[in-house]
Amino acid sequence: MAEVQGLVNELATKLRKRKVEGSRETARLTAELFRTVISQQRVTSAALVEVVRDVGQKLIAANPVELAVGNIVRRVLRIIRDSDLSLEVGGLTLVPQGDDGDIVEEDDKPFLLSDAISQTILHQPSLVAQLESKPNLVRHFEGKADKTPRSWQFKHQIIEGVNDLIEDINTCHEQIADQALELIHQNEVILTLGHSRTVKKFLYAAKEKKRSFQVYVAEGAPKHLGHVLAKELAEKHLQTTVISDSSVFAIISRVNMVIVGVHAVMANGGVIAPVGMNMVALAAKKYAVPFVVVAGTHKLCPLFPNNPEVLLNDMRCPSELLSFGEFSDCMDYSIGSGAPLLNVVNPAFDYVPPELVSLFVTEIGGYHPSYIYRLISDYYSSEDLVLQQKPAS
Amino acid sequence: MWRRSASFILDNRTPNDVASASRPESLALSPPLQSSAMADADANSAYYQTRAAHHGVVTSDWLAQAQAAVGRNPDDLGSVVASEAEPKPASDSGKPFSVIEEFNNWRKQPDLAEAVAAIRALASVIMSSEATTMMELEIELKKASDSLKSWDKTSISLTAGCDLFMRFVTRTTALEYEDFNSAKSRLIERAEKFGEISTKARRIIAVLSQDFIFDGCTILVHGFSRVVLEVLKTAAQSKKLFRVFCTEGRPDRTGLRLSNELAKLDVPVKLLIDSAVAYTMDEVDMVFVGADGVVESGGIINMMGTYQIALVAHSMNKPVYVAAESYKFARLYPLDQKDMAPALRPIDFGVPIPSKVEVERSARDYTPPQYLTLLFTDLGVLTPSVVSDELIQLYL
Repeated sequence: MAEVQGLVNELATKLRKRKVEGSRETARLTAELFRTVISQQRVTSAALVEVVRDVGQKLIAANPVELAVGNIVRRVLRIIRDSDLSLEVGGLTLVPQGDDGDIVEEDDKPFLLSDAISQTILHQPSLVAQLESKPNLVRHFEGKADKTPRSWQFKHQIIEGVNDLIEDINTCHEQIADQALELIHQNEVILTLGHSRTVKKFLYAAKEKKRSFQVYVAEGAPKHLGHVLAKELAEKHLQTTVISDSSVFAIISRVNMVIVGVHAVMANGGVIAPVGMNMVALAAKKYAVPFVVVAGTHKLCPLFPNNPEVLLNDMRCPSELLSFGEFSDCMDYSIGSGAPLLNVVNPAFDYVPPELVSLFVTEIGGYHPSYIYRLISDYYSSEDLVLQQKPAS
Repeated sequence: MWRRSASFILDNRTPNDVASASRPESLALSPPLQSSAMADADANSAYYQTRAAHHGVVTSDWLAQAQAAVGRNPDDLGSVVASEAEPKPASDSGKPFSVIEEFNNWRKQPDLAEAVAAIRALASVIMSSEATTMMELEIELKKASDSLKSWDKTSISLTAGCDLFMRFVTRTTALEYEDFNSAKSRLIERAEKFGEISTKARRIIAVLSQDFIFDGCTILVHGFSRVVLEVLKTAAQSKKLFRVFCTEGRPDRTGLRLSNELAKLDVPVKLLIDSAVAYTMDEVDMVFVGADGVVESGGIINMMGTYQIALVAHSMNKPVYVAAESYKFARLYPLDQKDMAPALRPIDFGVPIPSKVEVERSARDYTPPQYLTLLFTDLGVLTPSVVSDELIQLYL
């Protein structure tokens, strides 16, 4: 138990100190931590949900801007709820009289219910659920601790679910890259910004399948990670051009498609992306260039962005922009009234509204921003949106 | 530079004196119009009458109607009701039960939405029914629902509410119940629960929208929606600093009533004439409207002027938020503005108009989904594309 606590604290510290790079890595570490936590727990589902919520809140508080943490927490909660419900239903032999032949596979599939039923009964408030009375799951939770073979099954299912999740996270780049051939055609000119591993693998896959295309890489100030990407692409014999962020508008008319990676995808279809992306998206819209976002489903966040430029942003160190030595007299807080005359703002992220995005390429396929709500209802349960509240409501 | 300053508070210009010099005739009651207007008044939609009844807007036409009604044979009203009662099956012997009457009783409560009043009326049909099988009960309900819908063909939330309840009835009868009485009591219980939804829904919507109202923001509101009022009330009570622009909302004068309510909450309010929306749109941070109905495409049907405001807001990149309860989702798909049952209302220009001049008297318009940003409903925050999903799940 204490060992688990230690692991949780370790991850929380890493998150707080921003030692974990990238949402995929964060998601993977979080999911693995939860696997450990769950395997050490007693099996009542109510207790499990509570534990996962607590751990989740701690991790989210360590780095609120890293939305992948919250996403994984909610995914795990949904896995728990699904396993519980499927066992409940299986136990009562009230299996849906569905026309789908394989209704009850032995213990392998945690999702025994058809989508429609599980959605209406369990997860979303919907018009249909307003008419039916939703079964009170909290009640069901309590009476379960005694059945030992069932509880073993329950835990087994959850661990399997989390393993699947980790597997998905690890293989998301490959599955996304499989779709590269459909998007990238011969003699295309592609624009990207910054350094996204997903985009890199995406372009590699197209190159391997003998597509010939060129890439413009906007450097992505102030970190200039675009330089790194450009070098890697050039090593794979791709014709690459590095441009500065400010020349995107000048170049965009010569570009066929913009392919970018993002930090998070919000529930309305908008994206949180490295700074400078909004400019690229606006330029693409103006010149009718498709703006394609490649993102794994672990980046899908069920929250709606309100004031994302401020609330979902990370203000980084100003020294990335200005060297302190040259401007120190303007930035010194001890002169004059104590308020510096020169302010330096270095936001890490940009918000791109859904109207500017043409397509989302995820490991489960390509979707329009207006479809994101469906993916969210598939992966998350609406009760988990606000993690602070108690489940019994 | 990331903070918004509430400049309207720091601004120390003296506020304009309340224009007492506004034309007195537009505010006071003008004398009843000529008989030609009376004929038009008959063509008024019940939709408008509902609005007027709720908002207590006294216009000259209403006054004329009221005077005429008092002068009319008082039995007239009674006969209207009785004639509705006639086609009902003679299963209720004794006093004739009229669903329309029941509906009107419920509707009089100012806080109750139309759809919920309809559902309550249908619930009372079940209670007073003497049917002995589910089939019979269903038929009775269908008749009652049809008569309610035909009584006011223009009201969308009424139709949607009736449809929702009928849908529920059909779904319930699909399940096996051992005896008729338990099924009946379940229907009644469900209908009662539905009644609670009205007030609960508004609370849920108010809570959901709080995140989107930030300190120092300016909200433009059109029309008088009780849901939007609840949203603003909640924001004011949680001590958020914001101000509201109300459009006048001619000819219903919804803006005047709304500004009254907001002034009571100590929220800074500014009244605009409807044409001043584009002029002030750059100062506005978001637009909030209610809806009379939410259609399948994700668009909304609301008071005349909403489409205009949404267009202006869209062209200036301002978000348009809609606050609507879920029972307003209707199975309609208007392709253009004229694709709905027309709801007409009298418009009083204050001066007599030559009879050959036509007046556009439609009371509502359709706003397509691409101009709406988000819908706040009791099902959660939705993007317009979710609406058709919900409707499909329910009806198909």
